[in-house]
Amino acid sequence: MRARAFGAAVLAALLAAGAPSCVLGAALPRPGATEPSLTSPYHGTLEGLAFGGHGELRFAEDREAGVSNPDWFSVGRVNGFVFARVSPRIDLGLAGSWDRAVDHFVMERMEAAFRVRRFTQAHAGIFLVPLGSTNLDHDAPGYDFAERSLVATQLIGVPHAQLGAGVRNLARAGPASQLLWEVDLVTGYDDGIITESPGGTRIPSGRNNYGDKNGMPAVAWRVAVRSRGKELGLAAQSGQYNRTQEGGVRVDDPRWAHVLVADGRTAWAGFRLFSEAAYASIDVPPGLRDLFAQHQWGASVEAVRTLLDPLFGGWRGSAVTAGIRADAVDFDRSVQGDSRMRLSASLNLHSRPLAVTRFGWYYEIRRDRFNNSTPLAGLTLTAATYF
Amino acid sequence: MPHPQKRNEDEAAPPPREVRRAVRTAVASCRSARWRNAAIVAICVLAMHGLGCEKLLTTKPDPGGRFDTPLPGLGNGELGDFQAGHTQFRKAFSIAQGLGPIFNNVSCASCHSGDGRGRPENILTRFSRGTDLAMDVGGPQIQSRAIPGAEPERLPAGADVSYRMPPPVFGVGLIEAITDSSILAHEDPSDANADGISGRANMVTPAPYVPATEPGGGAGPRVGRFGRKAQVSSLLQQTVEAYHQDIGMTSSYRPTENSNPLAAHPASDPAQDPELSDREVEVVMQYMRMLAPPEPGAASASRTRGATLFSSTQCSRCHVPTLHTGTHEIETLANRDVTLYSDLLLHDLGDALADNRPDGSADGREWRTAPLWGLRVAREFLNGQLFLLHDGRARSVDQAIRLHGGEATAAHDAYLAMPASDQAALVDFVESR
Repeated sequence: MRARAFGAAVLAALLAAGAPSCVLGAALPRPGATEPSLTSPYHGTLEGLAFGGHGELRFAEDREAGVSNPDWFSVGRVNGFVFARVSPRIDLGLAGSWDRAVDHFVMERMEAAFRVRRFTQAHAGIFLVPLGSTNLDHDAPGYDFAERSLVATQLIGVPHAQLGAGVRNLARAGPASQLLWEVDLVTGYDDGIITESPGGTRIPSGRNNYGDKNGMPAVAWRVAVRSRGKELGLAAQSGQYNRTQEGGVRVDDPRWAHVLVADGRTAWAGFRLFSEAAYASIDVPPGLRDLFAQHQWGASVEAVRTLLDPLFGGWRGSAVTAGIRADAVDFDRSVQGDSRMRLSASLNLHSRPLAVTRFGWYYEIRRDRFNNSTPLAGLTLTAATYF
Repeated sequence: MPHPQKRNEDEAAPPPREVRRAVRTAVASCRSARWRNAAIVAICVLAMHGLGCEKLLTTKPDPGGRFDTPLPGLGNGELGDFQAGHTQFRKAFSIAQGLGPIFNNVSCASCHSGDGRGRPENILTRFSRGTDLAMDVGGPQIQSRAIPGAEPERLPAGADVSYRMPPPVFGVGLIEAITDSSILAHEDPSDANADGISGRANMVTPAPYVPATEPGGGAGPRVGRFGRKAQVSSLLQQTVEAYHQDIGMTSSYRPTENSNPLAAHPASDPAQDPELSDREVEVVMQYMRMLAPPEPGAASASRTRGATLFSSTQCSRCHVPTLHTGTHEIETLANRDVTLYSDLLLHDLGDALADNRPDGSADGREWRTAPLWGLRVAREFLNGQLFLLHDGRARSVDQAIRLHGGEATAAHDAYLAMPASDQAALVDFVESR
């Protein structure tokens, strides 16, 4: 308990240290107005250059069937980015993150973008694949829960960035509506979906951040309509994921993975509602069928409400929000079991607009392929801030 | 006449003016969104406090009702090995880690649900041609799955086939520690006592890699005690072969990949052999050694009656309630009674259960008496179902008894002759073990 108290003190100190830079960050303009995906604030500027990042610390009591997980103090996410506008038409972006959900470093952006028209941009490099709104915008301080949804982390594999090129566009679709679309050719998933994923098909194991593995690009696209704070999006990524030849010898037929993601957000009765659903179809080699899933799906629904804004009369920028989220992932539609269901609740103190301290709770039922259930639950205290 | 409830309300004294004012103020305050939201937060916090952290954060299951509980009395070092083995037992292997090239499943836990029995979808297909293990055509076990680039095995025509359900793995340390003399004391190969039951031990030769220092290892025939036909004498051999045959994981004991001899081209996985370290094999073996059997259910009048019938119908002649252990390096396994309800001997169980496939010295009609321990909680780990006998065909204890024949004919007939209430009591007793 003494160690945990120490952890809580460190967490509080780091949060306090992060707060002043948030004030600075909040006061500065945001770069990349033509880029729907780039919403991060920054705190440093040089001529034509913006840089910054964000971090998240997690202090938790996680339990599995009544047994505490020793991983009680950890980094949730660390991100850094540099953004440069080298000419009125050309932007360069670089961003990388370590994310607890995937437990390794992901190069989220190493991208050059050319503004073809005012709201049309061609881009190339490593960038976040437009596979759902969570993948495009998952900064830790901007979220009202300690963990991303199961759909995001277990099915889509947020953060999911790949090497490629494409076009994104923002168009007026009515008096107060916008139509956003993006189409990219990316390197696509690799056969890690099967070969790196113990226990069955796992899309995130084949995200393939840095380069091509099979000589076949994949297509990724997203179309979204925004209107008065509401947004409805549909996205997909399709491509061959496996290698068909090894050393010049044909070893397998081409096999495809398709991921379809729908997301939507709106406001209703004082709640901000967000939902994301995903469906994956994977062509599994015959020798692995009935053990490696060919169809997976998942969905999440979350509702967030601002309870106090500001917390006290004199504390400008502060707010208290509360959120509840239900999410589920079925890793194999052909069997009963091999699934996860989770309910999360969070009470959040936004000490500044760009820093948040969250007190959260979750309860999860994890089922193995025998359909045996294991309960997991946790109380979390997380702090996230831009810097 | 006024309604009694109404009359009471009418007779109630009006609240004092101060109280009414306070209530009005409170209601007015609650109309403000700010205070209403604060009240929501307060109610949530109080509700969480009221529910209590234990319920919110999951509770520990009853250790006596699980298959993955360590034996009582283990030391810290042993428990450390137990935990390491627990993790290794659940470790699912990826192709990159060495799964395959041909295999049946991806981890130990993928077949042994909760460390207990398996389900029919995990059934293993053993085949041979008489006593020939048919290695030239992929025997003695079909690996029905394969990594990309490899071909899964298919059952050759004309083979003798036997389907085997994954057995429970708890209590195997106790089975290993049972002395040969305790098992052999129940042998009666020539049925000298003329009771129709003639159990005999399956004397087997351990694999060459099992050292004499390992229980069941060394040169010469040893008492087989693991497997549906007691065809294995050593837990090390059982572990190594399961990794090699079922998961396709090589070790220093079995360093060569198992491959499909009938495949059009040879295939291998990308991992370097041996894919498992000796330590990984050892901790899984030690883990299984230290797994405790579940505790039997509480006594009841029905179960007491069932226990009497279990004995009087001669079920207990083969399902011997208790055997005894000898010395063992793990102290808690040594010199104790083991209530497993098996004599670990081979018995002819008749035509209905015969697989007509020899295994070691066991013929096609003989099976090792299946231990009955753990049946009390078996359904909990099999989606509420039960799959009994070597191929899981019996979905209840009653069905399993009815399928017994051969040396069990007398017990089978006695069971059928019982009134339904006695049959229920006997089944209740067996299912409470």
